[in-house]
Amino acid sequence: MLELPKVYAEHIHIWLPELLSYVETTLRIAAVAFALAVVIGLAAALCRTSRSRILKTIAAIYVEVGRGLPIVVILYIVYFVPPQLFPGASWGWFNAFVGSVIGLGIHGGAILAEVFRSGIEALHSGQREAALSLGMTPAKAMAYIILPQAVRIVLPPVANYAIGLLKDTALCSLIGMNELMNDAKSIAFAEYQPMAVFVLAAAIYFAMSYPLSLVARHLEARLSFGR
Amino acid sequence: MRFFEVLGQKGEYFLITLLGGWPTTVKVAAGALVFALIFGLVIALLRLSRWRAFRIPAIAYIEFFRGTPLLVQLFVIYFGLPDAGFEPTPLQAAIVGMGLNGSAYLAEIYRAGIEAIHRGQMEAALSLGMTPARAMRYIILPQAMRTMLPPITSFSIVMLKDTAVVSVIAAPEIMFYARNLVTETLQSAVIYCMAGALYLCMTVPMARLVARLERSRRAWQ
Repeated sequence: MLELPKVYAEHIHIWLPELLSYVETTLRIAAVAFALAVVIGLAAALCRTSRSRILKTIAAIYVEVGRGLPIVVILYIVYFVPPQLFPGASWGWFNAFVGSVIGLGIHGGAILAEVFRSGIEALHSGQREAALSLGMTPAKAMAYIILPQAVRIVLPPVANYAIGLLKDTALCSLIGMNELMNDAKSIAFAEYQPMAVFVLAAAIYFAMSYPLSLVARHLEARLSFGR
Repeated sequence: MRFFEVLGQKGEYFLITLLGGWPTTVKVAAGALVFALIFGLVIALLRLSRWRAFRIPAIAYIEFFRGTPLLVQLFVIYFGLPDAGFEPTPLQAAIVGMGLNGSAYLAEIYRAGIEAIHRGQMEAALSLGMTPARAMRYIILPQAMRTMLPPITSFSIVMLKDTAVVSVIAAPEIMFYARNLVTETLQSAVIYCMAGALYLCMTVPMARLVARLERSRRAWQ
């Protein structure tokens, strides 16, 4: 414990640049998974609020399963199961990055679906009725009237989800994705300095997520104004 | 399909082996939850204290544990602490790591619940001659409990799911056995799907309960 400063004084000039070089990978996983989760979440939310029974049921099952499974399990299922189910197909493109992004995207889609749904449902139904009575099609009413107003409601929870996602990318190291956490593990065990290296990794994650959480808090304070 | 053949032949063996990890999953989740329920309240009360010397460490604690991945925290505790002379077993490291992590989240849930109680309640209790501690214990917390129950329950689902992570520090829970089985039989498709189904059997009923609590809370308001 007491040797930590000494360990850092000796090694940090090697460790820090190496760990920082993996920040980009971590951010890339988070960014692509976030985009995927928004698309899936929006589609699932629209299905759940639609009038079609089948779409509603499918979306409801997806949300239950996506939120009920641990992320680790989703990552394992996404990454290891399809190649075994369809061994004939060519899986060359299916690397750990693709698996990580799809796994995190499926999990995030289920979380965001509920966020978006509550955003859409929070709007008074009069909004939609007014838009329809003005001659808008249901799709137009959704795109120009409902969604723009719902954005204001969902932005803070979406920002909170993004923070969680950034931290969850660490789990991708479990399916062999070579990102920040994986690199920290290999340095820690190669140099027999687990405490020093993992604390450093924690500090880097904190430096990424803390500014985001300040933004989230700011959004929450700004957008809740007037309601 | 091959999947169902394997499921038919080996399904029972897989299920029994995976269930062998179930007690550890429950032990870690329950242990960490109890830890977090108690320690989280301490952090929340410090966070709400009038004195800066209490407030600032509590804020730092909450921000640090909510700002870093659980995986890193577990690694620091399990692999890092032996450097400092403690050697926790995987189970201890899992419960303490998840408990410390959960305390930060629960502290924020407690704080939101306590702050939602009208100030007049505290003032009335104090004016009746209660000490601040008694007022908190008998007046504020019992009322706050009602608003806090749904978020606490839904956080306990998160905790249950997070136990899947502690297999990385060799705590023998469901995912630990799943990975061992895959190494042994290479049937990753069947095994991971079965493990997933086991988690769903635990989390889906809990999610239903949360939805019910939410509804009854809204009805009460």
